[in-house]
Amino acid sequence: MVGWEFPPFHTGGLGVHSQEISREIARLGHTVVFLTPFALPYDGAPGVTFRSPDDDTPIPPGYPSTYRIEEGVRTGFLTVIERYNQWVGQLRLVGVNVVHVHDWFGTEGARDLARRLDVPLVMTIHSTELDRSLGHPYTAIYDREQLGFDAATRIIAVSRHLADQIAQVYRADRRKIRVVYNAVRPPDEGPIMRREGGVVLFLGRLTAMKGPDTFLRAAARIAPQFPDVRFAIAGEGPEYAPLVRLSVQLGIGDRVLFFGKISDEERSAILRDAAVFVLPSVVEPFGIVALEAMAAGVPTIVSKTSGVAEVIRSTFQVDFWDVDEFASRMAELLEYAPLREEMSEHAQREATQEGWPDRARQTVEVYREAIREYRGGR
Amino acid sequence: MKLALYLHMHQPWRLARFRYLDLGSGKPYFDIPRNLEIFRGIAERCYRPTLDRLLELLDRYPDFRFSLSLTGTFLEQAEMAAPDVLDRVRSAVKSERVALVAETYYHSLAFLLPPPELEEEVRLHLRKLREVFGVLPKVMRMTELVYSDAIAHFAGQLGFQGVLAEGWEGALGNRSPNYLYESRTRGVRVLLRNYRLSDDIAFRFSNRGWNEYPLTAEKYAHWLSQTPGDVVGLFMDFETFGEHQPASTGILDFLSALPPQIAKAPHFHWATVEEAVQGPVAGGVSVEEPMSWADERRDLGAWLGNDMQRSAFEAARKAGSLVRLGKDDAVWTDWRRLLTSDHFYYMYVEGQESDADVHRYFSSYTSPYDAYANYMNALNDLRRRAVRGLSPPT
Repeated sequence: MVGWEFPPFHTGGLGVHSQEISREIARLGHTVVFLTPFALPYDGAPGVTFRSPDDDTPIPPGYPSTYRIEEGVRTGFLTVIERYNQWVGQLRLVGVNVVHVHDWFGTEGARDLARRLDVPLVMTIHSTELDRSLGHPYTAIYDREQLGFDAATRIIAVSRHLADQIAQVYRADRRKIRVVYNAVRPPDEGPIMRREGGVVLFLGRLTAMKGPDTFLRAAARIAPQFPDVRFAIAGEGPEYAPLVRLSVQLGIGDRVLFFGKISDEERSAILRDAAVFVLPSVVEPFGIVALEAMAAGVPTIVSKTSGVAEVIRSTFQVDFWDVDEFASRMAELLEYAPLREEMSEHAQREATQEGWPDRARQTVEVYREAIREYRGGR
Repeated sequence: MKLALYLHMHQPWRLARFRYLDLGSGKPYFDIPRNLEIFRGIAERCYRPTLDRLLELLDRYPDFRFSLSLTGTFLEQAEMAAPDVLDRVRSAVKSERVALVAETYYHSLAFLLPPPELEEEVRLHLRKLREVFGVLPKVMRMTELVYSDAIAHFAGQLGFQGVLAEGWEGALGNRSPNYLYESRTRGVRVLLRNYRLSDDIAFRFSNRGWNEYPLTAEKYAHWLSQTPGDVVGLFMDFETFGEHQPASTGILDFLSALPPQIAKAPHFHWATVEEAVQGPVAGGVSVEEPMSWADERRDLGAWLGNDMQRSAFEAARKAGSLVRLGKDDAVWTDWRRLLTSDHFYYMYVEGQESDADVHRYFSSYTSPYDAYANYMNALNDLRRRAVRGLSPPT
């Protein structure tokens, strides 16, 4: 497995997916060697070993989120990528059946490694540079994505929406794309502290792509009618300060809680205690956090285009630009208890119906397909 | 043996998206143009071609008879969107071999509301049928074929001779649905739907996975000839022909081919429901809890099975007292349009998977949560209007 971030050093779905899928594939009896650019104390699992370049590659400032920021690209970030790929490409490994690369970071090295070992390459795409940059991709990254799509025998997309995009925009061959969704672990048991009036929650990186401003504008539309309700924004990112300013401009400065950076424990507690969870992303290849909220029994409003909307029916789905509709949906969930209860119950059931073990089996099935095709094509 | 073919025609007034933020805005609840557009589509695929087939059959086979029910909301939409559909029904009624069936004007669950709502709605429907078709039905059905002793009692009070009901084992025990029964109310007969034979057409006809597929009129007539009893009730949605099952499945040709097959068997006679409720009764039937023709359980679960549905109906019931206090016709009409059972049906979440599929097919929303939230917003707005005695600008 040619990866990048891995818990506890992770920012998003990529890290969670890498960890869960490695753990579960190992549990199925396979051996997983996980490659990352940096030797860090990762949360491992039985059957998963980590390998990193021997030299002390300096960890770029802001790792692992650097790859989302153009700043990071300028500050020698690409040098790290190049070294990583070189190392991966020349790595000596025996008994490998398939090379599986996640996103663009290690595509070049993964391709070289697969060629040298004479095994198929499988690539999982979690999000595209095109989406992260809202349509203004950084060429060096875009090219590495393209390289991966072209070289892979099979491509795994974490949603149908993403599969369509890489087929249309990156011209990836539809016949080799498979969809394997993300999942959540059954939620931790814990006391639920739903406050009087309730909290409407946004949780995610504070970037334009995640739509936190839509969340605030929608909150402002209904705040006067729900004086007991509070609106919470959990997470950090470049939009933090602008969002604080926006909440004041909208006249709801006293109604919005900014939690900033939160730990994993805080994260699950905050999710559990929310009355309503909102994922207003402009672009959201999947949106694991919404699945977590649902698994914890929190009624959820998601953007229509989010990957998670493909998996769960028991949600409200809204066009990402429709502030009034987000506001109305929040109000409806706050106002109508039977709605909250029915949606919570069914969303919870749907969200936990298929877990990571299922996703691992589906991934291994893609490996098998890739191996069959690779051998057949020789 | 009598064959009682009875077809039900209904369209609800579907709600527009009425957001929480729309409360108090004066925005209308019902999306009239969209409803009429839907109606025109169904008229094209189903109402016109099927009525044409039925008229042709009336022409060609002097023994052919059938019965129709048309809800008030259906008639309103037909008048606005496709009046020629009503002309066809008028022609059929003129043959005197087509009976019309009475019900609630709004296709509502008014039998669960305090009086006089139920009686008013049935009388509204009778008045409308007299206006449009000049006839007075002698047989009544309740919304979704709901039946109970109380409903039969009500029917007796209004002078009906018969009520239609589901021929369900839960009510009949091991007795056959193919006989006429007496209700608990003297003089009110119960004509039952043979759900197996009805659903062979209504649900299974186009199912390629069914081991009897394809169903021919010949095979079906053979089944009928094997069926013991006095009367077979073939009750189904009119939309079975050309809408639920598109013309491409051959369902219309099946309909056209049935009377000639029936004509071959001398002991078969078509009957309207009014004719069918005349005749010897095989015994009494008693149903305490309301029994419907929907879903596997035949109860009211399809409309009032979950908390959203129950709370919505309860809210509608409560709003009713306010509406009655005020004298605003527009508010009253909107409230009654909100009583149409379809709104509650859309809020059904899940039961047996086969039922859930049926519910999804009939829903105009993407999810039951949308249906509920939207309904509650409209109803809350209506409550405000009822309280203030205001109506929205038109």
